[in-house]
Amino acid sequence: MITGAGLVDVELANPLDTFAGAGGEASAREFGTLGYSIRAHKQA
Amino acid sequence: MADILELVDVDELRHRVRQKYRDVDADPSGTQHAHHFHTGRAHAVRLGYPSHPLSDLPEKACEAFAGVGNPFYWGGPKPGERVVDLGSGAGMDSLLAALWVGSEGSVIGVDMTPEMLERSRSMAEKLGLKNVEFREGLIEDLPVEDGWADVVISNGVINLCPDKIGVYRQIFRVLRPGGRMTVADICSERPVPEEALRDIDLWTG
Repeated sequence: MITGAGLVDVELANPLDTFAGAGGEASAREFGTLGYSIRAHKQA
Repeated sequence: MADILELVDVDELRHRVRQKYRDVDADPSGTQHAHHFHTGRAHAVRLGYPSHPLSDLPEKACEAFAGVGNPFYWGGPKPGERVVDLGSGAGMDSLLAALWVGSEGSVIGVDMTPEMLERSRSMAEKLGLKNVEFREGLIEDLPVEDGWADVVISNGVINLCPDKIGVYRQIFRVLRPGGRMTVADICSERPVPEEALRDIDLWTG
């Protein structure tokens, strides 16, 4: 999806259990949802 | 599976998202009605935000922060850079970016919730930050000129937009050639079934 928009060098890093202990934890567990840092560039 | 834009009532979703963030503005720590996500400075620290310049912000600037990850994992923007913050919400990330880029740089935060824009503008004024402005708008139709930004940041917002490819096209449009996107957002390991995609309650909490 990101490359489909024209961005390049996509990196996904730093998975975090962002909903642990919060009200959304059950839904996050059901779908395997984590928070990520995402980086990409627009070609020079 | 049907196109996601056919499954979700986008206007209703935006209405519910605005309401959710009005609630966060009114009750940042969720003491009256718990939010489904964590908020506040301690949450930002847990996500790995660097202690500096976070420690330069007063509590009021951090209390309604509701991010899901760390857009500054690879470091903050550099002095003099131009930054766009998609879905700037309570404004904490825009304020941090404004401290990083300094007086030679500038930051534009874009959000669709008036209460959050008011909170952000008020805090920028209190901090005396002249290099950050907050614009009302949709991240699918960014009120920013083509090629303006060195960096696009965002935290926990793109997942709330059904038209994600449209958002990434907007990011591409506003970045200068060679510019970068460093965002944080949620991703699911398992496919979300169609009935769940139709359920706006699941989108917003």
